[in-house]
Amino acid sequence: MPTISANRKDLAKLLGRHVTDKELEAWLPLVKSEIKEVDTATGEIRFELQDSNRPDLWSVEGIARQIRIKLNGRPDSYPYLQNAKSRRDQILVEQGLERVRPFIGGCKARGYKVTGEGLTQLVQTQEKLADIFGRKRRMVSIGLYRLPSIKFPLSYLLADPDRTRFRPLGYTEPMSLREILEIHPKGQEYGTILSGHDQLPLLRDAKGDVLSFPPIINSRDIGEVRVGDADLFIEVTGTDICTVMLAVNIMAANLQDRGASIEPMDVVYPYKTAYGRTVRMPQVFTRPRAIKLGDISKALGEELSLKDVRASLASYGYAVTGNGSQLLVSLPSYRNDLMHPVDVIEDVAISRGYNTFGPIMPATFTVGGLFRIEQLSDKVRELMLGFGFQEIVSNILGSRIDLTHRMRLPDGHPEARCVEIENVMSQSYECLRQWILPSLLRVETASSRSFYPHFLFELGEIVVPDQQAETGTRTEVRLSALLAHATANFSETHSFLELLCSYLAWAYSLTPIDHPSFLDGRVGRVELAGRPAGLIGELHPEVLERWQITMPCSAFELVIDLPGKTQA
Amino acid sequence: MSEVTQLVESLHPHEVKVVRAFETSKDDDSCTEEDLAKRSGLEIAQVGSALGRLQIKGLVGISARVPRTEVSLTETGLRYFQHYTPMVRIISALKKASDTGAQLTIRDIQTREKLDSSEVSEAIGELKQEGVIRITAGGIVEPTGRSSSTAELLQKLIRFLHEGTKPLLDFTPPEQAVIKKFSQKRGKPNEPFRVDERESRRFGLTENGRVIARQLLKEGTRNEITLLTPEMLKDGSWRNKRFRKYTISLQPARIAAGKKHPYREFLDLVKAKLVSMGFEEMRGGLIENEFWNMDALFMPQFHPARETHDVYFVKEPRHSAQIPEPFLSQVAAAHEHGGRTGSSGWGYTFDRMRTRRLVLRSQGTAVSARTLASAPRVPGKYFSIARCFRYDQVDATHAPDFFQIEGIVLGPDINFRTLLGLLTLFAREVAQAQEIRFAPAYFPFTEPSVEVHVRHPRLGWIELGGAGLFRPEVRLPLGVEVPVIAWGLGLDRMAMVALEIHDIRDLFSADLEMIRSKRVQY
Repeated sequence: MPTISANRKDLAKLLGRHVTDKELEAWLPLVKSEIKEVDTATGEIRFELQDSNRPDLWSVEGIARQIRIKLNGRPDSYPYLQNAKSRRDQILVEQGLERVRPFIGGCKARGYKVTGEGLTQLVQTQEKLADIFGRKRRMVSIGLYRLPSIKFPLSYLLADPDRTRFRPLGYTEPMSLREILEIHPKGQEYGTILSGHDQLPLLRDAKGDVLSFPPIINSRDIGEVRVGDADLFIEVTGTDICTVMLAVNIMAANLQDRGASIEPMDVVYPYKTAYGRTVRMPQVFTRPRAIKLGDISKALGEELSLKDVRASLASYGYAVTGNGSQLLVSLPSYRNDLMHPVDVIEDVAISRGYNTFGPIMPATFTVGGLFRIEQLSDKVRELMLGFGFQEIVSNILGSRIDLTHRMRLPDGHPEARCVEIENVMSQSYECLRQWILPSLLRVETASSRSFYPHFLFELGEIVVPDQQAETGTRTEVRLSALLAHATANFSETHSFLELLCSYLAWAYSLTPIDHPSFLDGRVGRVELAGRPAGLIGELHPEVLERWQITMPCSAFELVIDLPGKTQA
Repeated sequence: MSEVTQLVESLHPHEVKVVRAFETSKDDDSCTEEDLAKRSGLEIAQVGSALGRLQIKGLVGISARVPRTEVSLTETGLRYFQHYTPMVRIISALKKASDTGAQLTIRDIQTREKLDSSEVSEAIGELKQEGVIRITAGGIVEPTGRSSSTAELLQKLIRFLHEGTKPLLDFTPPEQAVIKKFSQKRGKPNEPFRVDERESRRFGLTENGRVIARQLLKEGTRNEITLLTPEMLKDGSWRNKRFRKYTISLQPARIAAGKKHPYREFLDLVKAKLVSMGFEEMRGGLIENEFWNMDALFMPQFHPARETHDVYFVKEPRHSAQIPEPFLSQVAAAHEHGGRTGSSGWGYTFDRMRTRRLVLRSQGTAVSARTLASAPRVPGKYFSIARCFRYDQVDATHAPDFFQIEGIVLGPDINFRTLLGLLTLFAREVAQAQEIRFAPAYFPFTEPSVEVHVRHPRLGWIELGGAGLFRPEVRLPLGVEVPVIAWGLGLDRMAMVALEIHDIRDLFSADLEMIRSKRVQY
């Protein structure tokens, strides 16, 4: 979710009116935003925008526009989207780019004298679009230029990495494209986007001057916009033509909102695109969609008239035609997030205001209930509580050291096998616990000051590898109990296990086994109906030492959801 | 019964012993606790508590207070006992380094020994002053070869004091000087020693106490009974016994008892509420494939929240078994071009291998997706309390794994207003909130999406949860024709308030004392 910062005065100017805190609060739902921070001294407001499909809202211009449309009750008009016939300056695309970075677009913006705040916002929008919407420039990157220095038409071509040189932003000396990739911070950051290509994208004007090396860096000579510049050129490159067009449309709308007049460009491709070989940008590229009035009413649970819906959509930026029961709706040029009529339905609700809809209480009768295993788990917990055990709830993620090494389980031991995380963030949370006992020992380690005896239990989930299972792993519900006090021992622990199994009517038996975590001769495998289902024993002193526990401990662990377990 | 007899009868056996201990001494108005312990054969602690009770009863008074200076180890001192003082560690680190010819800066020592910068600079200053080390140009710390008598003495004193508190006067003047230098003072809280001015008190019997003592002497050893035994009941001998009267206002001893974990208790309440509202439980595994965790929820495979910085991937095995049909084809079609859902889809090529990639379940909605695909009841209400995992830096507001409480409601009558109704019900029943506000929200799998805020009696406006109507691209490919509400409640903040904790990690605390001390919820 992007967070952007805006200036209060700037926002008021874009809205064309004074803004009170209360009004701003009331408008936020229109843009699915929350205010994160307000600096009353500087007037800076930080907005968090929730909708990742609405990049047009990731700028103060976009936020102001959505509110302004609501206040005016109708969309703004964008004259540059009309008069499709007249000839425009061109960007000529060279063959071969379809394999590297196929699409480019752009427009001119004249007559807006860039202010300090305006430039800050322009750069912020450029960065948010390229970074978040453009997946760190992979799908979209944007360049801003000083229009007077450019001679049209432009060429978007493939260049030799060593023979092409220009002065990149931030450097005074010309560098080759290869040098930029290796030395320039932006080259190091974004260079991987172009890896595997021996010819690299370049944007040049009719004089042969370099505008930029997309998507890495602009030229310092043409591509450094300053406060006071009045005429700009905006360029967008990317891998998907719709994404490129949308970014151009958003930049154009934002600049017109600040007072610029936009002049479209024609991009001429040597290869086919979804919009032909010559593509005008900006243009409205989304298609109108038909939606039934009845579907809107049904989904919202309220009979809405055609007039209601038209008003709601118009005051949210849509163009609406049609009458009777069928509507034809078109998104404004700066949006492309209409996949299904439900997207329009939500906008109707947002435009009207969620709190204007009266909640209807659920009236259907349904029977509540728990899974069999949950019922059983609750019974087992109840019994353990009655036996005087304190319940524990632990994290399921743990470290290998705790789950195996501290338990004296050598690497190859079958019980040392646990499911590990590939992208580990912290060694303390590198795998999922394959048994619960270490979680209880972790509590014991931290609790030597709490008065004794300690009778602890946890009933919870563990994960073990299981080739037969759908996910190659099996989530099991287990019970583990730990007794820690000066005379904690096997027979006391066995008494609790015996009592538990007898109340549950589980026929269990114990088989002596060798297990590194427990003292030799004082450990057994618990079998339920002849199948292995757990362990019981006195913890090995070396295990206790590794956990820095200085109190004798005895424990059992039992599978609760063993498939096919039969009652005695 | 006279007052005196009454008082005598109410005395605890320890109190009787202590009063008698006074009587048998020569100067019976100036005894220390130690004297009384020796004479009565009781433990010091038993004498202390008996004296306390006798003072309350007005039988014993304090006859003199003699000041006494005591030295004990602080937390820092205990740490130094286990891991040695910074001075000793610096000396040994330097020795080790010089054995291998390595050179260490102060910073190297600090990181290598994992010490605080203030501890290191203090210890370095001390060692420099003593001429044990010198610091050369370039900040290299070099041993001079001299040994540090301060460091050795300090370590010896720490060892000695680890046995217990000692009077300052037991130490030689040079030892006292070192103790004073390394003891806690204002502005120096991290020193190994603490010097406390205490007083040793002397006790004597009061006027009333002497009367009681004489009475006790007169009575001799009484035939007084503390416990009623089964034998006495069998043979009726209890009739001839006198039962000592207890002082019933005394603090009882603590006992270890079985108690629910406080967080689990909170979750149990929520679970019971949901069942009472007609919700049926659903469950799933902790390991999921991307199909159920994300693809079935119409999150495009290029969605930023699906990258390694948001989800934990399983190292081995990497992929699940084949995704069952027709779900795989129908979900893939919804992503690619909408399929038969009426959607235009995301417009990309669905990766049928990636969809089998195993991850740690990152959202409880994965459980809902599986439920949708397994012919759920219509109308039906479902919930799950599912452990989920996110790739987050663990801190006071992010736990490595956490419970998500979420579910679905299916039915032909489901719409936006019934969604708001359900959330209103949750707000009233689960959060006991009267004031509710709805705001638009964004989730990849619902449209419309809504966030519900409630006025909490202590926290003010808080977000109670998020919900929405599942997109047709989610439910239709899984075979559900009726509208479906998807809801999730964020209750951890409410749990933390109820349990009076401020760090989310404490919901899974390992501190037994803290867990035992929490009150129950009702």
